[in-house]
Amino acid sequence: MSAPAIEAIGLSRVFDQRQGLFGEPKHVVAVDDVSLSVAAGRAIGIVGESGCGKSTLARVLLGILPPSAGTVRIAGQSLAEMDRRARARLIQPVFQDPMSSLNPRRRVADIVALPLIVQGVAGAERNRRVGAMLERVGLSADTGARYPAQLSGGQRQRVAIARALVNEPRILVCDEPTSALDVSVQAQILNLLGDLRAALDLTLVFISHNLAVVEHIADEVAVMYLGRIVEHGENAAVFGAPRHPYTRALLASVLTPEPGLGLPDVPLGEGYPDPSNIPAGCRFHPRCPIAIDICRVRPPERRAVECHLAP
Amino acid sequence: MSPPTLEIEGLRVGFGAMEAVRGISLSVARGETHCLVGESGCGKSVSALAVMGLLPPGARRTVRRIAFAGEEIGHLSERQLARLRGDRMGMIFQEPMTSLNPAYTIGSQMTEVLRRHRGLSRGDAAERSVAMLDRVGVTAPAMRLGQFPHQLSGGLRQRVMIAMALLCEPKLLIADEPTTALDVTVQAQTLRLLARLQRDLGLAVLLITHDLGIVARVANHVSVMYAGEIVEQGSVEGLFAAPSHPYTRGLLDAIPVPGKVRRGDRLGSIPGIVPRLQAGFVGCPFRDRCAHAAPVCAVEAARQEAGLEHVYRCRLAPGWWREAA
Repeated sequence: MSAPAIEAIGLSRVFDQRQGLFGEPKHVVAVDDVSLSVAAGRAIGIVGESGCGKSTLARVLLGILPPSAGTVRIAGQSLAEMDRRARARLIQPVFQDPMSSLNPRRRVADIVALPLIVQGVAGAERNRRVGAMLERVGLSADTGARYPAQLSGGQRQRVAIARALVNEPRILVCDEPTSALDVSVQAQILNLLGDLRAALDLTLVFISHNLAVVEHIADEVAVMYLGRIVEHGENAAVFGAPRHPYTRALLASVLTPEPGLGLPDVPLGEGYPDPSNIPAGCRFHPRCPIAIDICRVRPPERRAVECHLAP
Repeated sequence: MSPPTLEIEGLRVGFGAMEAVRGISLSVARGETHCLVGESGCGKSVSALAVMGLLPPGARRTVRRIAFAGEEIGHLSERQLARLRGDRMGMIFQEPMTSLNPAYTIGSQMTEVLRRHRGLSRGDAAERSVAMLDRVGVTAPAMRLGQFPHQLSGGLRQRVMIAMALLCEPKLLIADEPTTALDVTVQAQTLRLLARLQRDLGLAVLLITHDLGIVARVANHVSVMYAGEIVEQGSVEGLFAAPSHPYTRGLLDAIPVPGKVRRGDRLGSIPGIVPRLQAGFVGCPFRDRCAHAAPVCAVEAARQEAGLEHVYRCRLAPGWWREAA
């Protein structure tokens, strides 16, 4: 069997947050001993609320942030041992806000060409590949001569996708790629990502707070809470029969366009998760509607569903 | 029967040669929620600001009639409107940090509202503020008065803003994307809170949102806005049972719904982008993006009835999608 396309082994990332000039630094554990592996050609969705560590995990997987502990492997090779160029050929990001990830002073064609220049692709070959990529993401040929500010949000996100894919990487890491877009444009981008994924046999890591979007695009889903993946499984299993109480609350909170259902009562209480102050025992227990004594003292076993009470 | 809390007829707002709001009409009754839904740039937020008299300098507003609890307010001076705002009309925004002053404590901002509009003493104002914070579910309300906005979580800040908007027990609450910046679990909790307060206070709520999921769950009436016009309006049941404007149908098809769409299915998407229209534009604003456009759409968009209190502006006859399928 071939190695997984991307693998995280015991991955942690800790930030030191200073409390004033002379204060003791506080450890914020954004990602806490996370392990997962994604087979080639699969799409994994990573969902969770703000502060759960999903974007930090994305940056560590991309090699933008070094892990505090653990290893990322791409096609069996350690990411830490690769140089930047080798890494860029294998894995590429698409971020939420293309306005801040695209250089506003460069024309679209130059933005998309940059990864090729870095890899030493020149001349007619470079122009041909840039033109073909723009067409592939649904941008007209004359878009290449324009600046990001002259484009709509959806067009800018297409440029970001073109730049990410122009070198034909194996893995695309999308961090909230449609969160800043209107629903009709979001649908265009999701359809595009779905088409490209099939055509280019991409492995997709798709990070989002929007469960409906993740269910639509992913094969499997990992639910993060305060730095840990608390439930991980095939889409149908997690969405059809969620086992962790947090997953159940998240799913219950999704407001589908069905009148008559009213507003769900989400039994999570008022406690707000704070990554600089992770609760003892099960980290979800202060908000958990079914917590019992053991949840307050002992962390749950590390398995696909991290809950003492999950079936 | 008492008049609606808010009535708007023929509201137009222009900026230079552009017209952002092109003749919208709607009303909100006591205890009712009217949702104004649309994508960015459709004019929904500008409409709300126009109602409150908070448009930026340079904006042109014309309106046939705008009435608050039956009284015409279109001609009021800025001073008279300012008295109405915060007292009988409240407004909350997407990002609480834009309406909370980061340099003042929660307490000083809340008591100022009561001292100015109600002439309460410092002590009475503090007491009322604590009671209101408690009512919106802020834990340890007395302690919060001494805190600054940045010391609170996003969900708590949104509750503080709601409490501030409701301090003088207004009749009308205008909420512009009040939960868009919140996490889904906190969004559900915040919307439930708003619904409870609305029931208790008999509030009329004009809720502005881009999210049809929220609309379906909280609205009594819905207006779908596109390029400055209301293209479809109706009761929430009627509109969701028979969405009749091609734009409304397109929006609904574009939303992934858990358990409804099979993975791998393509989502419906609307090609192109929202046009910015000049004053004097005629015809259907959606025609350039519509799969059903015909020559007549360049001339006019007929007003048609899809059901009781359910109207839309389109040449296509009621139930057209059944034949199209």
